[in-house]
Amino acid sequence: MNCLSENEEGLDLLTGYLAKTLDPVRAAELDCHVQECANCRALMRAWTRLDEFAVPEVSPDFDARLYARIAAEQASRTSGWRRWFWLPLAPVAAGLVAMVLYTHVRVPDSPQQTSRMEIEQMAQAVDDLDLLTPIDR
Amino acid sequence: MAVLKAAQPSPKPRVNEDMEAVIALEADAQLMLRVRAGDDTSFGLLLERHRGPVVHFMYRMVQNQAVSEELAQEVFLRVYRSRETYEPTAKFTTWLFRIATHVALNSIRDRKKEKGHESLSDSDEMLDGKERQVADRQPTVEQEMVHEVKIREVRQAIEDLPSKQRVAVLMHKYEGLGYAQIAEALSCSESAIKSLLFRAYESLRGRLAHMA
Repeated sequence: MNCLSENEEGLDLLTGYLAKTLDPVRAAELDCHVQECANCRALMRAWTRLDEFAVPEVSPDFDARLYARIAAEQASRTSGWRRWFWLPLAPVAAGLVAMVLYTHVRVPDSPQQTSRMEIEQMAQAVDDLDLLTPIDR
Repeated sequence: MAVLKAAQPSPKPRVNEDMEAVIALEADAQLMLRVRAGDDTSFGLLLERHRGPVVHFMYRMVQNQAVSEELAQEVFLRVYRSRETYEPTAKFTTWLFRIATHVALNSIRDRKKEKGHESLSDSDEMLDGKERQVADRQPTVEQEMVHEVKIREVRQAIEDLPSKQRVAVLMHKYEGLGYAQIAEALSCSESAIKSLLFRAYESLRGRLAHMA
């Protein structure tokens, strides 16, 4: 039998042997080989020693921390989405604001402008009254 | 103080995956598809099922509990982020460990850039826990010291493997992934993975066989 450490299939044999999943004939062959082969014994020892690499338990708050990160990410994504949604509308909104300001908030007129406006308004009022004359008749 | 958990029983049979494993893998993909459809409970089930393996994989990669949990969270965050575009083209576990490998290797690269080769910073914590675990058997001080040396040796031997070999060994030895899955996770051929593992175990044999 070939040495386990001399061919790449040796790894499958090794794992199968230690898991006791090899067929009995193959396992018996390997048993005999391992008795004689220091290399294979060394490989098995190394494999077994890897089990000594213990790991700590996962922290109890692992899930809570993860969900908090997900929630934070979703919140920031939502606010980001809102920002991006409104960004293209900003010039339109600015234009609307400017228009409202122009039509509703007027700078105080100068006295000359006021008198001209008053004349125009009086003239318009006279015209409007003229329009009422036929109804009176 | 961290409570230590013994390594998973090993080795596990991997040449022929049993039906239970196949069903579990399909169940993972089904759960992920439900997550894609907006079912967050299914994400919780996936987390419950894979939290341990991913954290432990990360721990053996970086050998620091806080960092390993941080990286494992990053993995699950990426899974969650990808839910809308998830397609079950690969086994869920393969995909998960592919992400985990990327996250781990990037972290190791960044840490090396920042600090140079990092020492086993939490080995004392690890060993303290181990001491507590074996306290019932009341080992002698000498036995404890030998045990500590052995554990350090194993951890150091793993850490000294080249990154790709280390990933392959951790997936193969501790997570029970088959050659095909490791190959897919590392974007290699199966024969390349066999060769990689062969070299890695040979290296570990040289480092660990002398003290059983």
